[in-house]
Amino acid sequence: MRSPTRSTSPSPLMVHRKWFMDPKWIIIALIVGFLLVFQVFPLLYLVFRAFFSTGKFSLAAFKRVYTYPLNWSALVNTLVTAFFSMVFGVLIAFPLAWLIGRTNLYGKKFFRTLFVATYMVPPYVGAMAWMRLLNPTVGSMNVFLQKIFNLSAAPFNIYTTGGLIWVLTGFYYPYAFITISRAMEKMDPSLEEASRISGASPLMTLRTITLPMMLPSIVAAALLVFIAAASAYGIPSIIGVPGQIHTVTTRIIDFVYIGSQEGLTDATTLAVFLMIIANIVLYLSTFTLGKRQYITVSGKSTRPNIVDLGKWRVLISMMVVLFALVIVIIPFITVALSSITVNLGEPVFSQGNMTLRYWARIFTRKSILSSSKNSLLSAIMAATFGMGISCMMAYLLVRTKVKGRKIPDFMITVGSGTPSVVIALSLIMAMSGKFGINIYNTLTIMVIAYMIKYMMMGMRTVVSALSQISPSLEEASQISGASWLKSMKNVTLPLIAPAIVAGWFLIFMPCFYELTMSTLLYSTNTKTLGYELFTYQTYHNQQTASALATAILIIVFGINWLLNKLTDGEFSI
Amino acid sequence: MSKIIIKDVMKAFGDVVVLNDFNAEFADGEFITLLGPSGCGKTTMLRMIAGFEKPTKGEIFIGEQEVSSTKTFVPPEKRDIGMVFQSYAVWPHMTVFENVAYPLKMKKMDKANIKEHVARVLEIVHLSQYAERVPSQLSGGQQQRVALARALVAEPQLLLLDEPLSNLDAKLRDSMRFEIKEIQKALGITVVYVTHDQMEAMTMSDRVIVINHGDIQQIGKPTEIYRYPANQFVADFVGKINFIKATSANGEVQFKDSNQKLPYDGELKGDVVVGIRPENLRFIKTNGDLKGTMVSQFYLGDVNDCRVDIGGEQIRVIAEPKSFDKHAEGESILLRVDEFSVFEDTGDDEHMKILT
Repeated sequence: MRSPTRSTSPSPLMVHRKWFMDPKWIIIALIVGFLLVFQVFPLLYLVFRAFFSTGKFSLAAFKRVYTYPLNWSALVNTLVTAFFSMVFGVLIAFPLAWLIGRTNLYGKKFFRTLFVATYMVPPYVGAMAWMRLLNPTVGSMNVFLQKIFNLSAAPFNIYTTGGLIWVLTGFYYPYAFITISRAMEKMDPSLEEASRISGASPLMTLRTITLPMMLPSIVAAALLVFIAAASAYGIPSIIGVPGQIHTVTTRIIDFVYIGSQEGLTDATTLAVFLMIIANIVLYLSTFTLGKRQYITVSGKSTRPNIVDLGKWRVLISMMVVLFALVIVIIPFITVALSSITVNLGEPVFSQGNMTLRYWARIFTRKSILSSSKNSLLSAIMAATFGMGISCMMAYLLVRTKVKGRKIPDFMITVGSGTPSVVIALSLIMAMSGKFGINIYNTLTIMVIAYMIKYMMMGMRTVVSALSQISPSLEEASQISGASWLKSMKNVTLPLIAPAIVAGWFLIFMPCFYELTMSTLLYSTNTKTLGYELFTYQTYHNQQTASALATAILIIVFGINWLLNKLTDGEFSI
Repeated sequence: MSKIIIKDVMKAFGDVVVLNDFNAEFADGEFITLLGPSGCGKTTMLRMIAGFEKPTKGEIFIGEQEVSSTKTFVPPEKRDIGMVFQSYAVWPHMTVFENVAYPLKMKKMDKANIKEHVARVLEIVHLSQYAERVPSQLSGGQQQRVALARALVAEPQLLLLDEPLSNLDAKLRDSMRFEIKEIQKALGITVVYVTHDQMEAMTMSDRVIVINHGDIQQIGKPTEIYRYPANQFVADFVGKINFIKATSANGEVQFKDSNQKLPYDGELKGDVVVGIRPENLRFIKTNGDLKGTMVSQFYLGDVNDCRVDIGGEQIRVIAEPKSFDKHAEGESILLRVDEFSVFEDTGDDEHMKILT
């Protein structure tokens, strides 16, 4: 007979299990819930709105939007510029990655740092620089080339499709460079040595071994550049729009700015197009290519066999220097110099043309200060909450076998693969009170948008750090008498701390100077630094914008340097 | 198939010298093993023969050709060498056939010929039925044989093996050892083999080069290395040995702690170290060379592993298994010494401890 007394009930532990849910489940449920409400639902609603704009199913909106020539040309422009940026980006990134990873190129380390660091630079800085350099009438590089080669007209015009491709390539090839470099570092060097000893020359080895082995990574890198270029807003709005070259992103933002319901519907319809492309790319690169990556872990970590460039060494090194000068150094210097120039039509070093007044302005003008504060605040919040979720998710993913732990991971991956414009637009549509939540015009909506877009960077960092730590380290602590929580605090946390710091900054930085989502989500009280800079650049005063951009560059490089120092070179961006 | 000459080779990475004054000659068809602990420079030597590293100083000849010197450097692909890597380095994007055919393709051999050659070499390594597989469908041992087939297919003049067995499990390692030796004998190819495993070195090699801290310690046949080690390091690294401090005088060595003596007619005088391998000690009833007390004995099936106190120090004795029943701990015993070596006492106590 069953007795209700305590002594006969199974065991205290079993009773516990009955009454309380596993905390792991609660964490997953909370994260999934958050993402469902703020990511999945708005995106689904966006698609729904596109087809049911009038309440019942209709393709009227699609017909209207896609028959309008300006939109049609925006679609074509987006695909064309993204495609060529992808092709050129990979054509630049692969040889660079090979030269830096596998040959005796001069200054390899420096170039590697330089090219990787440009990844963290806001792309619109590139646009600002190149419109100063290659403006068809007063662009300083144009003027310079005209003088040297004695040309009658400026050789380049930045306000063209070609110009747009040029700037997009220059600022999105680092995505491919990083992906390809990492894959190359992971490849067992003896695979290439085996080819050399089999009688293949370095170039033959490159063609028959290195290139085919790297192909999945190269394709993944290409897709990454494609989608980044296709969903870019900063560059096309600064370079494209003045030359009447519209892209899907600039059109979407124009439509939203119209403010009418029809404008919103049209924006939605275009956004759906962008979202579909992004999803296809994400599917291809994550779920099909991911499986084809060859795992080649070397038994013994030998340094890769360095290919001697021989008599080409100096020449090729010079070419890389030239590339770095043109793509990275000159644009940055241009922006920095613009920030201290009174009259942009005159050389900066001419009499009385140098000033620090724009620098003074960015530290004193109220609107700039309040925008900076907004950006700082929302970036800190996004990074902190993002890392909180990242750490919990990383632990669940790496250390537990809880069912459903991959769901939030999948959602976070999808979120980061969705174009910024689409995320922001979907949040506007769904979070303006229509469904009980109204956070439009607040910093909260900004923070949420940032988290959805950039959380994955932090999560990947923590996951990779955690998976390198053997679980036996935690077990050893527990067997020594420490509780699970103490073991976390004493063993695991100190070991992954550098990764957490790095991950935090990886989320913080892009949020700090974010432009695209802020452009859609800002209100009078919640303007951000990126948006402030953009309005100065486009409407008021380019020098002030340049001063802001230079300040951002200094912060980005400073943080990168600091991170490198703090973690002994283990982490930098 | 050719001889190798390594002359005064020195290699430094920056300020760190990893190999010093390496001089050696390998005969045609010889199986040479570079043996030493990890970090001793043996792999660096192999990679210099292959052409993946350039010597800082010195010359290397393969056959009649000078492949590396201050004036000339022949890149790896022009050296006509086969090599098996520790991680096998089998290309994952090619089938077994394509992997093995690669060196022949590089030689621009015609397709029919390639097919024939690959088929023959796959036969040798027992992989004929796996030709169309990709490496990920093969076990470690099979991948290893693909690497071996690829190294042999072009009939190189020289085969280099960089710890090829270290990633295999013990059973497979045993059988591969004999297979590699068989193949080498059948093809009459010159082999340079790098390992830190003395068993591999002993079973396969014609000659062994023992290396430590970048210096050659000894070059010799396995029996020479084992029975007449040049110094304490070699004696210690290859096999097991007891070291006992002693003084040499008047045709005898006298142990410092126990005052026991062994007859010795060698050249060394004064402070010396006597090295006795545990299996060169036997228990006997009368006329022992050494006296002692049994401290402990462990029956291991094939041997009886004992510790014996010879007065002030313990030595290890590996006796035949039946002796386990005849002796007890604490019992006084007599030992016969079949063979021993005498080394100069360098004052280095590193090797003095009893071996376990």
